[in-house]
Amino acid sequence: MKIPRVLNKKNRILLKELTKTDFKLRYQGSVLGYLWALLRPLMMFAILYIVFAKLLRFGSDIPHYPVYLLCGTTMWSFFTECTAQGIQAIVNRGDLLRKISFPKYIVVVSATLTAVINMLINVVVIIIFALINGVEFSPTWFLAIPAIFELYLLSLGIAFLLGSINVKYRDITSIWDVIVQALFYAVPIIYPISMVANSSTFAAKIILLNPIAQAIQDIRYNLITAETITTWNFIQTPTYIIPIIAVVIILIIGALIFRKKSKFFAEEV
Amino acid sequence: MKRTIGSRTEINDPNNDIAISVKNLYKSFNLPTEQAFGLKQALFNRLRGIKGYKEQKVLKGLNFEIKKGEFIGIIGRNGSGKSTLLKILAGIYYPQKGELIINGNLIPFIELGVGFNPELTGRENVYMNGALLGFSNQEMDKMYDDIWEFAELKEFQDQKLKNYSSGMQVRLAFSIAIRAKGDILLLDEVLAVGDAAFQQKCNDYFKSLQDKKQTVILVTHSMENIRKFCTRSILINNGKILMDGKPDPVAESYEKLFK
Repeated sequence: MKIPRVLNKKNRILLKELTKTDFKLRYQGSVLGYLWALLRPLMMFAILYIVFAKLLRFGSDIPHYPVYLLCGTTMWSFFTECTAQGIQAIVNRGDLLRKISFPKYIVVVSATLTAVINMLINVVVIIIFALINGVEFSPTWFLAIPAIFELYLLSLGIAFLLGSINVKYRDITSIWDVIVQALFYAVPIIYPISMVANSSTFAAKIILLNPIAQAIQDIRYNLITAETITTWNFIQTPTYIIPIIAVVIILIIGALIFRKKSKFFAEEV
Repeated sequence: MKRTIGSRTEINDPNNDIAISVKNLYKSFNLPTEQAFGLKQALFNRLRGIKGYKEQKVLKGLNFEIKKGEFIGIIGRNGSGKSTLLKILAGIYYPQKGELIINGNLIPFIELGVGFNPELTGRENVYMNGALLGFSNQEMDKMYDDIWEFAELKEFQDQKLKNYSSGMQVRLAFSIAIRAKGDILLLDEVLAVGDAAFQQKCNDYFKSLQDKKQTVILVTHSMENIRKFCTRSILINNGKILMDGKPDPVAESYEKLFK
């Protein structure tokens, strides 16, 4: 028997059109349109910068702290947008699923691709800010790419896993909102991890075993300053592999459950 | 809840003159008995030992074969299982039990204008809808003008779809739908809308399908269309095939169901 190609021509066209539509609809009816993809994270950054860098004087020991902060908030927004959109994707596109037959993962991937586009635009902004702030270009910048990719795969795994449960139990959306709020404080975005490390090395190690923290610290390390504490330079040899294993496991479990449940999405959504 | 799954296989064998073969097809739905959309309810139901859903048997063992070039009309009362059958053929629902073989490229029209979005312009919607039918951008570019010509809506192409009347939307959707090329077409009552002029266009379209010896499966309540276009008709009642044969006698027994 012939194995159907996962990304054949028809699926590729569909993925492209759905992503285009999602992106267009996101900023439909707003005066500034696509500019919001830039403005929203920048405004979020401005608030955090004033509160944490200026008023609370966080991060005085980190070079280029404003860009360091911007990088963290951008990647965090990417993660939350990716998962929130991905989890909702099947329910939002229920009308399509009930009328035509196509691989369901396309809907989830297209929803997360909008977040990818937003993130890429913002990476350009980070780079501009970094250069203005005196960060010098270095080939290590490209090493941030695998870390960004890892963050994307993690988001995708979560979207597959929770998105397929969300079809039947819509509570997932609300539960995830709360989890994201909690995670925000468990990941060193607004506070530098060195602050935690100073009072408890153990706590800092636990924080760095979270794949989100590991990816964001890696991106900062490669893009902004080598003085960043990362999972690799802070945790002993065999243990630091835990975040990577976690991402792989979440992605595999997510994909398997999604594949099993997707057969009934059309009936249940 | 355990659910078994039958098989649906797609093949592409030009030498085989069977387009669709259905063997012993069963389908039932688990309908929630009370509001079971939520973790709390699901948990309660489990604790109390309640299933929380009722099994609704929709298709109870269907057997039929469709040859290439046949124009099949599927008829039956509301709730008899026609649309469920069509959705299973289209691969939207999974068969619960039984074996399904689809020979050739199948294009379903469960509804006109699937994926139409009121916030997008006519142009954007045409490309989106085209993508759902499997057309690439280049293919859409080629037939773009014809679509608007046929729909007689050219001057509205850059307006948002929400500013179209419902009749205009149907015309546009129909105009895209008829470009779809497949070996087997599934039509679910989609063309039962529109004014007299539009109905004429639908009739012409059906006629052209008939002349081309296109394999068509049409679900309809119009016995007129059954008699006019179909080469064979299947009457479904209560999830079973009541009659299968020439359109005239089948249409008659359908009409007798209401007496």
